[in-house]
Amino acid sequence: MELANAQSQDGESKGGVLAHLERLEIQLSKSHKKLEEPQREQAVESALGTKIHKLRLLRDKLSAELKQRQARVKVSAANVEPDQTLEISEQEILERKQENVKAILQAYRFTGISGKLTSRGVCVCISTAFEGNLLDSYFVDLVIQKPLRIHHHSIPVFIPLEEIAAKYLQTNIQHFLFILCEYLNAYSGRKYQADRLQSDFAACLAGPLQRNSLCNLLSFTYKVEPKDQSFPFCARLLYKDLTTALPTDVTVTYRGTDASATTWEEQRAAHEHMFFTKPLHQVFTSFARKGEKLDMSLVS
Amino acid sequence: MDETVAEFFRRTILKIPITEMMAVLKAWDFLSENHLQTVNFRQRKESLVQDLVLLCEEKRASLNDAALLDIIYTQFHRHQKVWDVFQMSRRPGEDIDLFDMEQFKSSFKKILQRALKNVTVSFRDTEENAVWIRIAWGTQYRKPNQYKPVYVVYYSQTPYAFVASSLLKSNLPLLGQALTVASKHHQIVKMDLRSRYLDSLKAIVFKQYNQTFETHNSTTPLQERSLGLDINIVDSRIIHENRVEKERIQRVTQEIFGDYPQPRLEFAQYKLETKFKSDLNGGILAEREEPLRCLVKFSSPHLLEALKSLAPAGIADAPLSPLLTCIPNKGMNYFKIRDK
Repeated sequence: MELANAQSQDGESKGGVLAHLERLEIQLSKSHKKLEEPQREQAVESALGTKIHKLRLLRDKLSAELKQRQARVKVSAANVEPDQTLEISEQEILERKQENVKAILQAYRFTGISGKLTSRGVCVCISTAFEGNLLDSYFVDLVIQKPLRIHHHSIPVFIPLEEIAAKYLQTNIQHFLFILCEYLNAYSGRKYQADRLQSDFAACLAGPLQRNSLCNLLSFTYKVEPKDQSFPFCARLLYKDLTTALPTDVTVTYRGTDASATTWEEQRAAHEHMFFTKPLHQVFTSFARKGEKLDMSLVS
Repeated sequence: MDETVAEFFRRTILKIPITEMMAVLKAWDFLSENHLQTVNFRQRKESLVQDLVLLCEEKRASLNDAALLDIIYTQFHRHQKVWDVFQMSRRPGEDIDLFDMEQFKSSFKKILQRALKNVTVSFRDTEENAVWIRIAWGTQYRKPNQYKPVYVVYYSQTPYAFVASSLLKSNLPLLGQALTVASKHHQIVKMDLRSRYLDSLKAIVFKQYNQTFETHNSTTPLQERSLGLDINIVDSRIIHENRVEKERIQRVTQEIFGDYPQPRLEFAQYKLETKFKSDLNGGILAEREEPLRCLVKFSSPHLLEALKSLAPAGIADAPLSPLLTCIPNKGMNYFKIRDK
């Protein structure tokens, strides 16, 4: 039948047959698809399922790791603090030690002789003092070579540095420094006494204090009582030993015109003795105190 | 008041610049505050000077007072004079120097007055136990010339005296003798050192020009000081060639000249009397038997600072010749160089 239809009505039957075939093909593919879809869906489903499974595993793994880490951090936080404070305190200790040493080095100048190493030798500092008062410091910068030499210094020109160096620098440097120390301390002491006399007891002096660079010759006219009108005494102090701060020669003269010579003579002799034994400004302090005692006795 | 003394006053006061007038008169301390208030300082200088001279006449100012005023003016203007340095010496093993300023002054004056009847000697004590001496010289028959005085500055118990050059060279031996005997020395020698800057001369001979010392108390490390050529300034636009060499020059210059301000001198003079030395054989100059004589003079407003900056500026090699760098150490700026 199909053939007859096909032969007689070629066009229509062809169209009919091909169209029919087409329709059948389409039906077939639809039904295939319908069959496939659940399969595909299943495949997708199973794929998704495995993916979900994998992700779950990964999640569990990560959360486990996280927990581990947190636990570790807590533990190490508990341990880390003592470690860090240990480091800080070590550094602090070192810094404090360094500051201590620096302070000790700086304080050495109070011993009178101190020094600091330099690139070419040593810079010695001689700090002078008199009766507990810290006075000027002087420096000698030495170059350590053969022969030992002085590079530069701050010693005043009237201190016989060249003489002392010529005698002792090459042979006995300790002695050189000690002798220089003696000279400088004595000079500082004499200068201090003269300065104190000039500043604190100017009212007791007639005119300025005569002095020289080394302060080893002092000459002045003075009175004992500030309320006195005249200046009855003249003093001349010689310091022939440059290593001492007390005079070697004292001459006190009385130039007043008072008739009662004996009391003045006693005073004059007493003053001479005082200038020999006490520092200059302290002699004048004791004059003032005696004056006060006299006043007190008059009052009482 | 003598006419000549009045004229001397007038000329001395006229020299003083108006800006310094008050300061100088106060330092002189002859005219008190009250006296000075009676004078009008705003008038023309000539009238002011006239008023002041009249005031001095009223107060019976003497030649000595005028000489003192002259000393003070010179102390204010010490750079106007050229100062020589003299060095005295003692015989070795002498007694301690018990220097008495009053004895020194009277001895000095006596020696001059015994030799020259006509001489004016004036003194002014200054700080650091020093004294300024003014000497006006005359002759047997002529009164002292007050307008050409000699000034001497002497620091007690030191071997140095600073003398403002005088044209009257004939009086120098007498001056030397007076200084030596009065200060209890035996010999006096003129040093080869001369400058206008008295304070620099003092710094050189008293060795006071380098006063920086390393101590534990100082906080500035010495390495950080630079000579003005600070290579450590990091500016990426500047490329420093020869950096190593520049640093070497800086180091060498600092070793020689130090970090301190240099004493001030105006010149250094070298008198050469040497044979010509040459590597080349022959040549006219090399064949001379006699030494060549020539004079080389370096002048500068501040010679030592200029020398210090030569190597860093690239003008000279470092280290500089020791003939140039020894000036403050040796205390000389006049040199005579002969073949040995």
